[in-house]
Amino acid sequence: MIRYLIKNNFKLMFRNTWSIVVMLLGPILVIVVLSSAFSELMKSYEGVGEFAAGYRMQDAAGNNVMLKALKAAGEEAGIHFYEYPEGEIKDMMEKNELAGFVEFFENEYVVYKSADYEVEGITLEYFMNKMMNTAVNASLQLQEQEDIVLPVEELNFMPAVNARDYYGIIYIVYFCWCGIICATGVLSNEKKYGIARRFYVSNITGLQSYLGKFIPVILTVTAGMAIATAITILLYDIHWGNPILSIVIVFMMIAAGTAVGLMFYNLSDSLVITIILQFTIVWFMGFFGGSFETYMFSSIPDTLKRSSPIYHGNRALVELSCMGESNYAASSLVYSFAIMVVCSMIAILADSIRKRGRA
Amino acid sequence: MEDIILKTTDLTKKYNNKVVVDNLNIEIKKGEIFGLLGPNGAGKSTTINMICSIVRPTAGAIELMGKNPWKQKKDVIHKIGYIPQELAIHGNLKAWENVELFTSLYGIKGEQLKNAITESLEYVGLMEHSQEFAKNFSGGMKRRLNIACAIGHTPELLIFDEPTVGIDPQSRNFILDKIKESNQKGATVIYTSHYMEEVEAICTRIAIMDNGKIIACGTSEELKKIVNGNDETITLEEVFLTLTGKKLRDYAE
Repeated sequence: MIRYLIKNNFKLMFRNTWSIVVMLLGPILVIVVLSSAFSELMKSYEGVGEFAAGYRMQDAAGNNVMLKALKAAGEEAGIHFYEYPEGEIKDMMEKNELAGFVEFFENEYVVYKSADYEVEGITLEYFMNKMMNTAVNASLQLQEQEDIVLPVEELNFMPAVNARDYYGIIYIVYFCWCGIICATGVLSNEKKYGIARRFYVSNITGLQSYLGKFIPVILTVTAGMAIATAITILLYDIHWGNPILSIVIVFMMIAAGTAVGLMFYNLSDSLVITIILQFTIVWFMGFFGGSFETYMFSSIPDTLKRSSPIYHGNRALVELSCMGESNYAASSLVYSFAIMVVCSMIAILADSIRKRGRA
Repeated sequence: MEDIILKTTDLTKKYNNKVVVDNLNIEIKKGEIFGLLGPNGAGKSTTINMICSIVRPTAGAIELMGKNPWKQKKDVIHKIGYIPQELAIHGNLKAWENVELFTSLYGIKGEQLKNAITESLEYVGLMEHSQEFAKNFSGGMKRRLNIACAIGHTPELLIFDEPTVGIDPQSRNFILDKIKESNQKGATVIYTSHYMEEVEAICTRIAIMDNGKIIACGTSEELKKIVNGNDETITLEEVFLTLTGKKLRDYAE
């Protein structure tokens, strides 16, 4: 029975011109406007030149072989490392116009970034992250060797992304989380015309009823986002990285966003409350996640950023676009999957409780 | 006892201590067209909603074809065809798609579903319009489609909640004929309406409800006798007004 429910709900959603227009034109228009408005800002990010960074080795922080390799790789990447064994780090950075500072401890390191060299600071952070991962792997295998040569030519740590690619990607992500718009027609009709009563007087289960909405919303939003993405690729030559992984990430976010929306609807039993809650939460997730100011330039604390699934999605997809790989791909998928499962369970439970206790 | 399709025992529904249905006891036999009459707010729709397991009773019992529709819903719900007062159809679906959607909820699929849709649409005279969107239908056509959506699974008990509201006499006449036809084919019918002549024309037995209680029950003739002895000139409407009073019944749900 669920096949026919899915099929007809999908038709209803696709015939809801208003929601389709919003889901298609929304991302396209926002991408056009923001990519133009912030193209200069993003250019400055692309064009980072050589810069100086300080470092300090605390006791037992590492060996000279590793440091030598790191400095060599830094030179290759345009980062000149200078040692400052003594003094206040903040003062050192100000006096010597250092873009950043790395303090090495026994098992960790801390990167300090200067507010005056924001882009360089991010570049240094990327560099250190990438280099240390590579260095640790190399040192595990080559502990006996005196010289370690890090493969700097293979490193692609610079997240050089232009405004069109950035906004072209992140606004597809943002609208993925607003997919509940596509279900508004069906949900309001069911309530307004007493259609839900027909479901009560039938053999349909709570899970079937949920899937009967969940799957068509996902299909509709996926179709809408695919069209919007294709249009923006054709018009603005937006580069997406690894297409299969990108599609999976976007699809999982659509599923998560839909589950969140349906959970709000089943909990509140009100379309207005659902829309308000969904849009508010997505706005905050986007605010933390780089939808309104790029996550690279964002001054929001990392903990808050990482709490937003949109940040994981944005970062994964942008890095896939400009670097070809991303450590955030897995976290984005896991995060979206967890949200989808938890919210779906709550939605089904809430619906079941409401049905059992119908006034 | 086998021919009792529906039995309610002391069925009660309260909303915030306001009694909407008050210790209702009715028995409907197989093959009957049972009319439920009452002014606005009398409790007719609430009674039907409890029978259809849409609204949970506060107290009392319902026995539908020997089962409790709240505890044994799976065993009995597919035997009910519920035609709600509202036009519970999707305007953005074609007539065929509407019937397909609601008939499939009873587990009917494939060729059997196609046949059921065809039969339902033919039954209400909408087969020619099966590929048209419901939003473009007239009020009468929408009412007929509303019925088609509830009969595809060939239920044994048809529950009509004011099915002729706001439609022209031709459509009304058509619907009434179809209800009688369904009854002749073996379906039991519960019918609520404000139109006395309709109820009188099709119902084998009529219950008049007021303030959540059945205040009179019987055939049309029996009800007339209760009010006015052997005077045959009295109409059912006069009976109704005599029993329920002429005071306006304004109520809010």
